[in-house]
Order: sequence, then structure tokens, then C-alpha cells
Amino acid sequence: MNPFKLIWGLFFRLFPCPIRTGLRRVGNPGRQSPVLVTCNFYITARRLNRKLGGMDVWLLIADSRGVNVWCAAGGEEFNTHSVVSAIKTSGIQDLVNHRNLILSPLSAPGVRAKEVQKQTGWSIRWGPVRIEDIPAYLKNNQHRTEEMKRVTYNWRERLDTAIGSLFPFYFVGAIGFLIFAQHLLLHYLVVSAATFFFFMLGCPWFPGQSGLTKVIVLEAILAIVLVVGEIYMAPNTFPARAELIIAMVMLFIYGSELGGLAPTLPSDLDPFLAKLGIGAVGNVAFAGTVRTELLNGLRELTYYREKCVSCRSCVEVCPQGCWAFDDEKHAVLTKKEKCTACRACIVQCEGEAIKAEPKGIGSME
Amino acid sequence: MFSYIFMKILESRPKSYDRLINKASRGRVLSVKQAVAAELITTDRVLDIGCGTGELAVMLAAQGVCVDGFDINSKMIEIARERIMTENLESAFTVRHMGVEGMDSLATSIYDGVVSTLVFSEFSDDERRFAYKHAVRVLKPNGLIVIADEVVPRKTINKLFHTIIRVPMLLTTFLISRTTTRPLSNLSEELAAAGFTIEKETRSHGDSFAIVVGRLTQEKQT
Repeated sequence: MNPFKLIWGLFFRLFPCPIRTGLRRVGNPGRQSPVLVTCNFYITARRLNRKLGGMDVWLLIADSRGVNVWCAAGGEEFNTHSVVSAIKTSGIQDLVNHRNLILSPLSAPGVRAKEVQKQTGWSIRWGPVRIEDIPAYLKNNQHRTEEMKRVTYNWRERLDTAIGSLFPFYFVGAIGFLIFAQHLLLHYLVVSAATFFFFMLGCPWFPGQSGLTKVIVLEAILAIVLVVGEIYMAPNTFPARAELIIAMVMLFIYGSELGGLAPTLPSDLDPFLAKLGIGAVGNVAFAGTVRTELLNGLRELTYYREKCVSCRSCVEVCPQGCWAFDDEKHAVLTKKEKCTACRACIVQCEGEAIKAEPKGIGSME
Repeated sequence: MFSYIFMKILESRPKSYDRLINKASRGRVLSVKQAVAAELITTDRVLDIGCGTGELAVMLAAQGVCVDGFDINSKMIEIARERIMTENLESAFTVRHMGVEGMDSLATSIYDGVVSTLVFSEFSDDERRFAYKHAVRVLKPNGLIVIADEVVPRKTINKLFHTIIRVPMLLTTFLISRTTTRPLSNLSEELAAAGFTIEKETRSHGDSFAIVVGRLTQEKQT
């Protein structure tokens, strides 16, 4: 265990926490043992290693620039090249008799299975979404239940992702108060933490579909309390004024990127930044990406039924279960409202029947 | 010279990459490439691993060397292709969009030289081993390999100085580009283990940068 990487990976997940790529032995794997592929984010590899305890598995760590599978695949940092490079340079082909890789379907927006097979001869099998389900999946002859295919965002997952991604904001705020308003530092630490837990634990029950609408509702309630307090109490006697303002600011920060944290919701922040004309921050692009253009309505998901080759890739990789098959073995988008524009179906579609095209061009039969 | 750390940020702006990296390094990256090109003056055909926008390839082409380059960054390759068109280098410089793992698709014993500048420090250990193995395969007997890259200084005092100067730049680059480079600790030893005889190792910039020239003198095991 690397304590520095553990703390960095748990609390500063907005930044990468890379580990060495390459092949790892878990247990005593042989020539028939399964080959699991994952990213080189410290926390993911550590959790996977722990869950695989007692099993004999080859674990191939591919380059994702130290970012978790879902975010790296979405940003195309965990991609076909990463997996092809890991296969070819690790020497795994000399250690096993089969040519099957198991990947999380969360890697589907970045890793194109058909292209990996074309370049290496290795087939990709989509495994469970959650690390916790991998032992059961392997014991069950690599069979996935429906639950194993779909993302969830339960309270543990909400706290895990939120602590990892929002702690830096909390930390920066604390430094700001320490420098400029020491007398409010304790208030900030308590109110901000309370706001964080209140929002992240309660968010499924707050009104609104997206993180931003949930925040707007809560902000409106707090604003009413603030205004009423200011109007009906004597000047400068309203006791919780500073705390309310802190809560409102922190709520906005926590809520505005809830969609970016939750695999079940589309991002609010990225398309908003793209609309503002902010093309990229560092190497993270917003404007001009298919995902943000889908979310901003510049493109729409289109499906060409005549091109469908019944590969079932869309059904297998959609983490939200948006796609189904009809009686004629053609894909049907049955839950469009749940689509988060992750692009997994577009990337994996073998017949190139699913596309993201400028609005008005394609068809969605 | 530490400013080459910033190349990871500049890679997202391929159109101005060469100009900015040379400005940031105060012309040192350009002089490194000139020194590398000078090592390959006797060669006819060279493979450029991670050719980027093709700045080194253009220098080599001016020496009458034919260059095949590849790079994983598709935007850099676009710039290199534009350069080939505008500078009429179609017969002297070809480029491919591929990563190091694509080296196994290259023909055997066709190059007199293999070159790479500021690329091996971005590779994983496995990728470096793979690159050495296929460099040996694609080179003709007596072929040259020239690698210029960031290395770990040999003396403790230089290592300490290097770390102190490098860390703030590394953190800045890491926070902006979410990636960074890793100085090579045993470049010459790795090349020797791969089958090259080291002819020259030139250290500069406080012992933190090396140009290593190796020759494939051993019989190839194919």
C-alpha cells in the first residue's frame, strides 16, 4: 500500500493518481486463467486486487493517464490504443492459450472492441460494471446478470465519488477562510461539511432531474429564508446569515457538477462551459466533443435500422439499459430519457448504425 | 532545459507546438534536434519514433535522409502531413498515425537509423522494452539508434538540484495537462541490454539530459 497515493486518490480524484502499467499476477494464474483489463488509477487497481483475493487471474493494467475507467474512457484517455499497447507490450499472448479480455462496460466509450480485435486478435467480453460483482461473475462462468450490467449511484457510491472530487473545493475554501476570515473558519468547516453530506446523501429525493435543477430548488429555499430573516429581524441581528451564504455557495459548487460525478446523470457543467465558449481546461476538452454537442442539442442520437447487424453491442454496453432488441433482432432505444450521452453505443456499434449526427439529419426509428 | 516538461501542455496545441516549445526552452529543443540530426548524417533511411510535427524529420531530409515517422498524437501527424505538402517532402518523409505498439507491423532490417527525441520518457517500462526489441528488428546490421531524452542525473548533488527545480514545473504541468514525463534512469544500460553497443553518451543541462548513440553490432536473433 502506498499511503500517499491512497490519500491522493481518495481525496483528490479530480487529478490523476497513476500507477505503473503492465501485467500483474493475482494468485497463481495459468494458461486458461481469465485476463482482466483495467485502468492505471491507483484506487481502482487496489480495489480490484482486493476483490480478486483468492482467485487466479491475470490483471492487465492499461494506461488511462492515472484516471478511473469511467472518466478516462469518457475523455478518451482510456482508449483502444491503451488496450492494444498493453496487450502487445506486456507479453500476455505468450502466457495464456485463449484470446479473451474482460473489460468493464464503463470503458466502452473509449475502447472500441472491434478495433482491438482487428489489431490484436483478442476479443473483448464486457464484464460487470461494479468491481464488487467481479468475483461472482468469474465464479458464474463469466455470466452477467442484468444487475451486473447497469450502473447504480447508491449512497456509498455517492459519498465515494463526491469526497474524491469535491474535497479539493472544501480544502481550497478552508485555506481562503484561514487567510481572509479566520473568525469564520470553524463556521465554514462545519457548515460546508454539513451541506456536503446533506446534499450528497439526500440528492435522489430533492426535486429536479439534474444536479443543477436540484441546486436551484434548494438555493431558492435558502434565499427565501435569508430574505425573510433580513426583512423581519432587526438590522444585523439575523444569526445565521454568514452560514446561509456559505451553504448557498457550497451547494452551488457541489450541485453544479453532480451530473459529472453520477454515472446515472448527464453532465451539467461540461455543456455549460462549452456554451460559454470555454473549449478546454488543460487537456480536458469541452467544446467540440460529441458528448457535449449531444448534451447541448447540437447533435442527436440517430439510428439507421437497415445498418443494424444485430451485434447487441448497444444492449451490452449501455450502462443505463437504454437499448433493447425487438422481435426482428434490431435495436430499439426504449429509454431515451435515461441516456447520459456517454457514447458507448455509438463507439461499439459494429454496423455503424448508431451515430451522433447534427440535428435534423438522421432518423430514430 | 527543464521547460521541456511543459511539452505535455503544449501537445494540446499542435499548430504552435514547435514555436512554443522552442520559445519555452529558449531554443534548446531545436539545438538538441540539430545535434541528433548530426549523429545520423551517414544514414540513408531512418525511423523516427514519436515524430510529432516532423521538425527533426525535416532537418534529416535536408541532409538527404529518408524518414518514416509515426506518432500517437493525430493532431501532430496532421501538422506533419501539412508540412510534407508545403515543403514538397513527399519522397523524403512519410508519416503514420500509430503508437509504439504498431512497430511490430514494420518490415525487418530496412532502416539504417532509429531515432527518438523526448518520447521514451513518456513510455511505460513495457513499451520501452517493446520499442528496443523492434528497433533491433527493423534496423539493418550496423544500424544506429539515437535517443535524446530526459534522464536521472548520476551524481547525488545533481539529482537533488534536478528534483528541486523540476518538482514545481512537474506539478504545474500535471495539474494542467493531467500527465507528465518520467526521467529515464538507465537509458544506456537498457540499450546495451537490448543488443546495442553504446558509442557515445552526451550529457547536458546539469547531467539531466542525454543523447545516447548506440550501434547494432551484434548478430540479430530473428
